[in-house]
Amino acid sequence: MTAGATSLRRRSRSRRTPAGAAISVLLWGYAVVVIAPLMLVVFNSMRPTREIFRDPIALPGSINLDSYVTAWNEASFSTYFWNSLFITVASVVLATATSVMAAYVLGRYRFRGSSVLAIFFLSGLLLPFRLAILPLFLLLQNLGLVDTRAGLILVYAATGIPFSVFILSAYFRQLPGELTEAARIDGANEFVIFGRVMFPLVRPALATVAVFQFVPLWNDFFFPLVLLRSSEKWTLPVGMTRFFGEFQTDWSTLFAGILITTLPLVALFLVATKQIIAGLTAGVGKI
Amino acid sequence: MRPHDTRHRLWLPALIAVLALVAAACSGGATDTTSAAGSTATTQAGGATTTTGGSTAGTEAPMEDVTLTVWSWRPEDEDAYTEIFDAYEAANPGVTVEFVPFVNTDYNNILSTGLTGEGGPDVVQLRAYGGVQPLIEAGQLVPLDGEISTLSNFTDGALKVSTGLKDGRIYGVPFAYQAFAVFYNKAIFDSLGLSEPTTWDEWTNILDTLKGAGYIPISVPAKDPDTWMLAIIHDTIGAPRYGGQEFEKEILAGETDFTDPDYVASIALMNDLLPYLPDDVVGVGYQDSKTLFITEAAAMFIGGSFEIGFWRDNAPDLDLGVFAVPAPPDSLAPSSTVGWMDGSFGVNANSDHVEEAKKLVEWMGSQEFGQLFTEKIKQLSPIPGTSPEDPLLAEFGELYNASPVSYLDLVNFRFGDPRGDVLLREGIVKMWLGQATPEEVAQMVQDGISQWFTPGG
Amino acid sequence: MTVSRPSSKRRTRPTPTAGVGRAAPPWRTLAVFLAPAFILYTIFLVFPLAQALFFSLFEWKGSARGSFVGLQNFATLFGRFPLNEQLPRALMHNSIFFVVTMIIQVSLGLLFAVLLQREFRGRQFFRTVYVLPFMISPLVVGYVWSLILNPTFGPVNATLRSLGLDGLARPWLGDPSTAFPTIMLVNVWFWLGFPMLLFAAGLAAIPEDFAEAAQVDGANRWQVFRHVTFPLLIPVFGTVTVLTFIRSFNVFGLVWSLGGVDGGPVGTTDVLGLLFYRTAFRGGVDAFGVASALAVIMFAVIFGAAIVFRWWFHRLEGGLT
Repeated sequence: MTAGATSLRRRSRSRRTPAGAAISVLLWGYAVVVIAPLMLVVFNSMRPTREIFRDPIALPGSINLDSYVTAWNEASFSTYFWNSLFITVASVVLATATSVMAAYVLGRYRFRGSSVLAIFFLSGLLLPFRLAILPLFLLLQNLGLVDTRAGLILVYAATGIPFSVFILSAYFRQLPGELTEAARIDGANEFVIFGRVMFPLVRPALATVAVFQFVPLWNDFFFPLVLLRSSEKWTLPVGMTRFFGEFQTDWSTLFAGILITTLPLVALFLVATKQIIAGLTAGVGKI
Repeated sequence: MRPHDTRHRLWLPALIAVLALVAAACSGGATDTTSAAGSTATTQAGGATTTTGGSTAGTEAPMEDVTLTVWSWRPEDEDAYTEIFDAYEAANPGVTVEFVPFVNTDYNNILSTGLTGEGGPDVVQLRAYGGVQPLIEAGQLVPLDGEISTLSNFTDGALKVSTGLKDGRIYGVPFAYQAFAVFYNKAIFDSLGLSEPTTWDEWTNILDTLKGAGYIPISVPAKDPDTWMLAIIHDTIGAPRYGGQEFEKEILAGETDFTDPDYVASIALMNDLLPYLPDDVVGVGYQDSKTLFITEAAAMFIGGSFEIGFWRDNAPDLDLGVFAVPAPPDSLAPSSTVGWMDGSFGVNANSDHVEEAKKLVEWMGSQEFGQLFTEKIKQLSPIPGTSPEDPLLAEFGELYNASPVSYLDLVNFRFGDPRGDVLLREGIVKMWLGQATPEEVAQMVQDGISQWFTPGG
Repeated sequence: MTVSRPSSKRRTRPTPTAGVGRAAPPWRTLAVFLAPAFILYTIFLVFPLAQALFFSLFEWKGSARGSFVGLQNFATLFGRFPLNEQLPRALMHNSIFFVVTMIIQVSLGLLFAVLLQREFRGRQFFRTVYVLPFMISPLVVGYVWSLILNPTFGPVNATLRSLGLDGLARPWLGDPSTAFPTIMLVNVWFWLGFPMLLFAAGLAAIPEDFAEAAQVDGANRWQVFRHVTFPLLIPVFGTVTVLTFIRSFNVFGLVWSLGGVDGGPVGTTDVLGLLFYRTAFRGGVDAFGVASALAVIMFAVIFGAAIVFRWWFHRLEGGLT
């Protein structure tokens, strides 16, 4: 269950008190602030571009799903979708798997160079990756990985490592040690302790880290644009850049594209939060 | 901290630094070789087939099946170019042309890696004037003068768009020129008894009448990043005031600079315009300004010939006319129309099919291409003998050819950093916000460009 | 090294970090754990970034590298007008961005995390909704908000006018005095879900026993929060601070789509990310070298600050257990 005396006391207060009502107002109010702009995207995806030019904000006259069809077929979104899925999932899995191992030792132990290594991993977060596009391109070219999905996955995974190591090591650091002590007494070696004891405990953080890596990678258009030459390998965001003309934009199809691109992320988040909650309720604190 | 730790702490950064240096030296070398090869190719004269990766030698060799990729910053033209290239493919069996557009804002990015190494384009749409110089100086383009016969179709002024500043060679075939003038809504004008102005007083009268009748007289965007029109609008209104072509010659020769009182006065004219622009013009974006015009909230729109396609697609019922702004009082030159070459098409020095690419680019300098271009993309072609279908577009061409003047900052002051057009448009916004006087704006532009501009060049 | 210290006034609590401090496993084992991440990261991120910084010492012609010029690009960065004015200005804007974002985001994020701690039927809905903005590309977020805040067509101003508050209906993104605050608020809207989730995870990790123990001692809800919950959230605060700092100094997409590439009305929304973009992709022939020099400066600033933060939070953490 959730922790803290705050929840103990609060549970007894019903929502019908003034404080409860105020909280409801606040929660719903902010929810409106979030949803309203997003409805704009939904509405505009159902209006033809010409209408959007004349009247940027209005309800759709009729529900018109042509732009979705256009995006999926003409703009090859079906292909781009699978590319995005494959590339993003592979990158996140690779980054998270390598990071959780590194984070485990960095978070649980102090050894010579552990501070430096931690800073070393952190330093990759400090600059926007766009900076390195030319050297990255040349590196991939030397490795023969330009215009390959594998090349892009390796680059993406590398960019996910600093963030993952940072979060996961912090999380590992604050896990209690009693369980590992018990396992050690039983004679388990480091790998067993990691695999059987620590790894399951870190599920909530893993889910969080996975989601927060997944989203920017899924939405990134810059790296695939430069590193992937063949259009059949392109991802959804790159596909969307084709709707941006120099002087005019195909808004309707663009908005449909945005929805097609965003909905999987929402689905992912819903799944991930189940994981996060499951992990939390596994009784981290109840030892 | 134990002494061990300090020593150990240093090894990691040191190792990284050394490895980075080694890696940089290696790949840096790759870049250097490319540019070295590129420049060797460019210094060779005549029609010899050189450059890296060239396959067929000589124009007599039989063509194998070749696919040429053409990169561009105009996704909206994709369908049109596909049709245009169909004509070329029909006349050149065995050649397929693939048009690959990229989002405009990242096109320069993409080019900087795209022209390095393999897998890049064969034919490249090139930015105008200053915009193409980095590619030229990196040796990434094939010089075309002496190689492409159709270059003779163009005037020297037109070819300036793709000429290397340092070596004077020509690297691209111009594809379009744009002109800037005042679009006006004929229905609104008629309803108020207005007609195209021929004198400055008539112009002011139009502005006041429109404002009095509740219209926005002129729709103009001034919100970042859509401030780019401001410098062009300044030339549209103010070029006669500062002396148009004469001024251009003088400033290039170093006989005057931007702090010239006549130039300053031309900037002040923008202030006079302010009351006739949309409210809170600094918050009006490019898209908004066009919406205001097509919904007839605004009666005039100072814009380029490239807008015509948009008007026709999104407001086909609007009856539109165009005129050039009359010369303001104390003008040193007559009323004129601002114009510039929009860009060119050049050949990637790293292409595997340089000969075929040159042949395609040569065709793009022909009247056949020019006519197809102006019909399908609805923009003005600089190739003589081409005539636009749309009468409005044709009128733009006539206005420009009758009294042309350069978009000064684009043509001449984009060769270094900071760019003249960027300085000017930021200055105009500041002026409109009351944060600078016309003199200060002019001074700012002058201070900026004097850091790299050498007159007499 | 964290050790549990008996506190004179309060009950001894077991420290959550009891695992740390134990002797590390042998190097070979450590290497197995560290190697995959280390190798992948070094080859595909560190090398290219280091090279990018290294480029600052060379002259560039477009994307072709020229000769070694030492610190000349840095001199240009600090000497060329208007770049030399824009650099300190952008730095200041990023700093303000960080401070304001931290204040609003931490308070709101923590508030929502606390409010959403207890189980109630709509909890999952709210949690998902608040994180939703983050799922959308920053460019789209910027576009949508520009539309909403549009002075001519947008609903915000339309509502203000219909309520008779014409005076308040200004060009939010075009007015130099409101543009940057507006962008900062949109950024909070965009990113709030993330600190909220981190705080939620942190709150959930606090064992119930602590709070119960404190309550048995007679503490009220606010005291429990202040003396038990809050201190145990320090690590999360540390993480949120460092990440917010890094994001604040690297922010680009959102500001670009809201304020434009030149940094909004007369440069009031200019940030280092935009400055870098302009310098690299719109500058003259030598653009790459100058932009790389700027990258070095950015790196130095961010790196230095991140180290300081990390050290500071570790001290805080250690001092409170």
